[in-house]
Parts: sequence; structure tokens; C-alpha cells
Amino acid sequence: MTLLSGQTARTAGIRPRLDLMPYLFILPAVAIYVVFNLGPVLASFVFSFFKWDLLSPTAEFTGLSHYTFILNDDRFWNALGHNFIFLGLAVVIPVWIGLLLAVFIYEIRRGRVFFRAALFLPAIFSGVVIAYVWKWIYHPFAGVLNPALELVGLGAFTQSWLGDHKIALYSTFIAYAWATFGYSMVIFLAGLQDIPTDIIDAARVDGANFRQKLFRIIIPSLYDVFTFVVTLRIFTAMGIFGVIFILTGGGPFYSSDVIDIYVFRMIGNFEMGWATAAATVNAVIVVCISTGFIKWREWRSWSS
Amino acid sequence: MELVSGNWQRRLRSAPFYATLIVITAITLVPIVWVFTSALKTNKEIRENALGLPGEWRFQNYVDAWFEASFDQYFINSIFISVTTVLIVLFLASLAAYAFAKMRFPGNQPIFFVFLIGMAFPLSAKLGPLLSLMYELNLANSRIGLILVYVAGSLPFAILMLRAFFQGFPPELEDSAALDGCSRFQFYLRILLPLSKPSLMALGIFVFMGTWNEFFQALLLINEDSKRTLPLGLTAFQDEYFTDFALSFAGINITAVPVIIVYIIFQRNLIEGITVGSIK
Repeated sequence: MTLLSGQTARTAGIRPRLDLMPYLFILPAVAIYVVFNLGPVLASFVFSFFKWDLLSPTAEFTGLSHYTFILNDDRFWNALGHNFIFLGLAVVIPVWIGLLLAVFIYEIRRGRVFFRAALFLPAIFSGVVIAYVWKWIYHPFAGVLNPALELVGLGAFTQSWLGDHKIALYSTFIAYAWATFGYSMVIFLAGLQDIPTDIIDAARVDGANFRQKLFRIIIPSLYDVFTFVVTLRIFTAMGIFGVIFILTGGGPFYSSDVIDIYVFRMIGNFEMGWATAAATVNAVIVVCISTGFIKWREWRSWSS
Repeated sequence: MELVSGNWQRRLRSAPFYATLIVITAITLVPIVWVFTSALKTNKEIRENALGLPGEWRFQNYVDAWFEASFDQYFINSIFISVTTVLIVLFLASLAAYAFAKMRFPGNQPIFFVFLIGMAFPLSAKLGPLLSLMYELNLANSRIGLILVYVAGSLPFAILMLRAFFQGFPPELEDSAALDGCSRFQFYLRILLPLSKPSLMALGIFVFMGTWNEFFQALLLINEDSKRTLPLGLTAFQDEYFTDFALSFAGINITAVPVIIVYIIFQRNLIEGITVGSIK
């Protein structure tokens, strides 16, 4: 066996042979990752240009025909549009709620651990549990939301939360926001604890009020954390599935349909060519938005 | 020490923060408390008194849900799949992360980058071919198949996190171990892993929660009732008992309680697992 690591051998002036050890260390991980994760992603892209026979791709090249079908399908744009609405709300609402709660927790002395733990609680559940909790909250007969609104004198706002095509998507977003602000919160809180306390103390000595402290010191200091938190929201909003699938199934009348439900439905109908084409378009959009966003944030932090 | 008046000032200043936090915490927790209390009611109570507390606590709902639906089987499946996934991920990811962090070899950076690419795509980007592949390999509708898919999905983040952690170890540690005649695998097993216990713990809890909660891929790959995990079983159960309100609530709780218990025990590890990967 090698007693000297590659580095030591080199400093000792011995020319090392190609060392196979590192490859043995990474091989099992690479193999499983390539076969069950990266491979299928690449295959999805490649076979979106081929005809499928039920579940198996064939050698018959179909060119862009799956893409032309997808791009001419109103349902596809409908679903994608809903993902964008979700995205627009997701990068703002749970992020800012999380930020403010993190700052509040940071500002208090006693009970930090309690509030962090309690407010993060919804984030630990499966999307399935979250969806069913909210399905019951919204339920027309057994639900708690409408009676609660009546109780506090907001009876005018009672409605069919999941049955109305105008608001179903937003009702699912509330469930999503409830389950995700805790993520942003704990990440911001960790970021806050990395800000040197003397900066914040200096601001206080200088008589800065809470708003000045928040916008002039805390938010600029959390620049990279902000980028990370928003990127995370981009991925979850563009890949939203379970919560909507269970709450509305994409309905009523496709009014809360999203891309992943669209793809899932295509797979269920054995329309694998369309499914892979739609999934590829979505993947390209997600990669463009997320890398574009990260590059923009980097550029902005250099240029300022 | 602070003067008494300074203390008072500080308390006064933090009063609005406490007030907001208490209100928001209450709003956040109400749905969870409500699901728990509803599971102890009768159907009639749920319909007629949605907001109130149960008249008497009916634990029978849990007993019915557990025995009438196959929640015992779902539970065993979830435990088996999640624990096996965590163990495999920790072993394979730590091996690979050690190589990426501490060994020089041609391809180190590019191969590591290939792992990172896997985190950039949404789940749906692989589902079609994954389903064909699993049928091709006879791994569809199989717990082992699902474990492999979960391991493959968790590896990129796990390697990223452990690599960053291992890079923090001083090189002298490895050199002195090498001088003592310790092979690199022995170094990994006897020194690196024991020193990394807190990180492995945090990562393990994080992967456990993700696996336990996963729904989309399980829905696609599993269609036999005896192989369902809890989230899948819950959907089947809810479809069947949707008119039996009390049983439905009990079913939700059976799925949620194990996660709450893990969370209460390992809260620090879990939050560390989430934040460590993000801040560095």
C-alpha cells in the first residue's frame, strides 16, 4: 500500500505513478449518481427527439415534432404561466417573512431557540402532509377557515378556496408559503449570526433606528445569503408538485395546473415524447433563470 | 454590567418584536394544533363545531386508522427506505468527498463539477427515462429501486457539504497518519469519520427527512399497496376515507408525528444541516 500521499511523494522528488486510489473512492458514488440521476436527465433531453413506444424510446428520429406539439399546446403555456406566478410570489413572500422573523428573533434575548423551533415546524413536513392539512382548512363543510373568518367578522371573505378557478392557485400558494418561510428564516438567522456584532453595536451607538439598521446594515450584510435563499425558492417554485397535486390536482379546469403536474399527466398517458420535451423546456428555463439570477447578483455586488 | 434603566430600555425596545413573534407563532401553529384536536373528535363534532375542542378525547380514531388502512406496513416501508438511504448516502458521499477534498488526481475538479450539475435540474427533468430504466432493470415497484433513486438524488448535496467540511482538516493530520503506517482507507475509517460525527449526523438527519417526506418519485415508481411509503399511503387512505373526517385527520397525524419526534430530538442537527450548506 502507499505509505506516502501523492503530495508527500512529489515533494520528495519521486515522480508518482497514476494513483488509482482516488478513483476507487469516488467510483460507487459516481456510478449510482450517473445511472439513477444524471443519466436519466441527459436521456430525457436526447430521447425527446425520438419516438417512444409506450415506456421505451425507439430509434426513430422525430426531430422537433414533440417540441412543436408542446409549444403549440395551450395547456403547456397555461401550466408554465402558473409556475411563473408561483415563482413571482415565492421569491418575495416567504423570503421576506423569513427575513423579518429572523431579524426579530435576532433582536430578542430570551426565547430565541423556542421561536426558531416553533416557526420552523411547518417546514419539516412532507408536501403531502402540508397539502392535507390545508385541504381540511379549506374544506367547505369540515374546514376551519370559513368559520374562523365569520367569527372575526370577515364573513364576506368566506369562499370556496379550492373550488373557485380564480383563486385556487393562490390558495395552494398560501399552503406553500406556510411550509417554506421557515427555511428562509433559519438560513437568514445563521447568516445574521455571522455578522460581526461590533458593526451592529456601532450602528446602535450612532443612534440608528430599526429601519435604518435593517436596510443599511443587515440586508447588505446578508447579500449572499439572500441570493442563496431566493435561488432555493426559484427551484422549489418551478418544481412545485405535491402540494398542488393533492390540493387541486391542477384544477378546477386547469386553473392551478403547473409544469410538473403537466409532465406527470403526460407520463401517465404514456406520451413520453411530449413529457420529455416539456420537461426539457422546463429544465432549460429553470437553469437559465437560476444561473441568470446568480450571475446578476454577482455582477451587482462587484459593480457597486 | 448594565444599569437597571438600560435593562428596562432594552426590554421596552424588544417588546414589539416579542409581540409580533408571539402572534405569528400562534398563527403558524394553529393549523397543526387543529389537526391534532380534530383527530380526537367524532365526525359530528367536526362538522358542527369545527373550531372548538373535542368534547371527549377519542383515541379510537387512531386505532381505526392504523388497523383499517395498512399504516403499519407503510410505516415499516418508510423506516426501511429512509434509514437504508441515509446509511448508503453517508458512506458513499464521505468516501467521495474525502477524495475530492484531500486527494490530487486528474479529473478531480471536473468530476466534482459533474455532481454539482445534478442539483441544477428540476425533478421532472429525469422522470420519463427514469421510469423506463426502472422497468428495464426490474426495479420499478421495488423498495430497493426507490432507495437507489433517493441515494442518487441525495449524493450531490451530501458530497458538496462533506467536501467543504473535510477541506477544513489540516493536511498534517493525514501526513502524520501516513507516517504511522496508516493507509488512506484506514485514515478515512479510523480518523476522518470519527472526527466528522457532528457533520455526518447533521447530514444524516437532513437526508432522512427528505427521504421520509418524498412523494413525487415514489408516486411514479411504486404502485403496489404493500410497498407504499407513508406519504403515498396517506394519499391512498385520504382518497378512500375522504368522507370520514375523523379518520382522515388521524391518518395525517400518523404520518406527521414521526417527523415531529425526530425534529424534537435532532432539531439542532437538522437546522445545522440546512444552514451549513448554504452559508459556506
